[in-house]
Amino acid sequence: MKFQKKLAKAKQGIPTTSMPDIVFMLLLFFMVTTTLREHDVKVVFNLPEAKAIEKIENKRVVSYIWVGKDGRIQIDDNIVKIDQIQKIMYAKRTDLPSIIVSLRIDKNTKMGLVTDIQQELRKAYCLRINYSSLYKSS
Amino acid sequence: MPQIRKKKIREAEIPTASQADLAFLLLLFFLVSTTIDVDTGIGLTLPEYVPPEEQVKVEVSKERIANLLINEAGDILLDNEVVSVGQILPKIKPRIIEKIELPANKKLIVSVKTDANTNYNRYIQALDQVKEAYFEVREEYAQKTWGKRVIDLNEEQMNEIKEKIPIIISIAEPEVVKK
Repeated sequence: MKFQKKLAKAKQGIPTTSMPDIVFMLLLFFMVTTTLREHDVKVVFNLPEAKAIEKIENKRVVSYIWVGKDGRIQIDDNIVKIDQIQKIMYAKRTDLPSIIVSLRIDKNTKMGLVTDIQQELRKAYCLRINYSSLYKSS
Repeated sequence: MPQIRKKKIREAEIPTASQADLAFLLLLFFLVSTTIDVDTGIGLTLPEYVPPEEQVKVEVSKERIANLLINEAGDILLDNEVVSVGQILPKIKPRIIEKIELPANKKLIVSVKTDANTNYNRYIQALDQVKEAYFEVREEYAQKTWGKRVIDLNEEQMNEIKEKIPIIISIAEPEVVKK
């Protein structure tokens, strides 16, 4: 008698027809949650480290001011001078009253410059600031 | 005789076999361009700007103020006493605690004053210590009163803690240097 190997009749293999749908779903999720990198940072800086730091919950109200090692100040994509800050930031605040200004300042900057920037921000009524710093692990 | 063949209707269809690949490509683009790094830092609210001629001097009792001065060399003076960075927290903490039950106009004010040539990093380190002192006091208060951690508090309790232990850090008005 001839023995015949019984083959399973069920089709093997994972159905791939719905794969695009799944991928599209993932894609949509990422598209909705993404905030794109908006800025091209032109200054070089090293952030200071601190322990008692908070997270900024809402990224969309954050506006950045960078200060590099060489003391150059960048807002958006431009290098600006101290006396221009007030005007730029005031315009931003008018658009977005709950603005938080994140100061990304190099750790070897002199306080004189930081104070000057703060004075400009006060004049522009951007009163909520955040000294951007990294978490110090120790 | 030529055979008349019935023209076969070709099925018009967009090939979907590569759809998944396309979707993956898009997905990868968004994955790469997404910023995952969370913004962290020390939050602070600046006082409103008042022009120098309109500034009014308000007398605040010495008992309320913790003066923190940082000079050019990075030396720290806390209430006329030279301290190291690590000493700020233990010195300020009891002063916050003793004022928990006092009314709002008697809470501690930490005044931070720096020289124009002070290193920014030094300033952040000092500010960090002050903030940490406040956070520790809040944490202890929450633990003692509700047996919860600060992050687990509900809104009402959070407001109470903010009222009892407000973080008042004053950045000194820059002084006009006579030339």
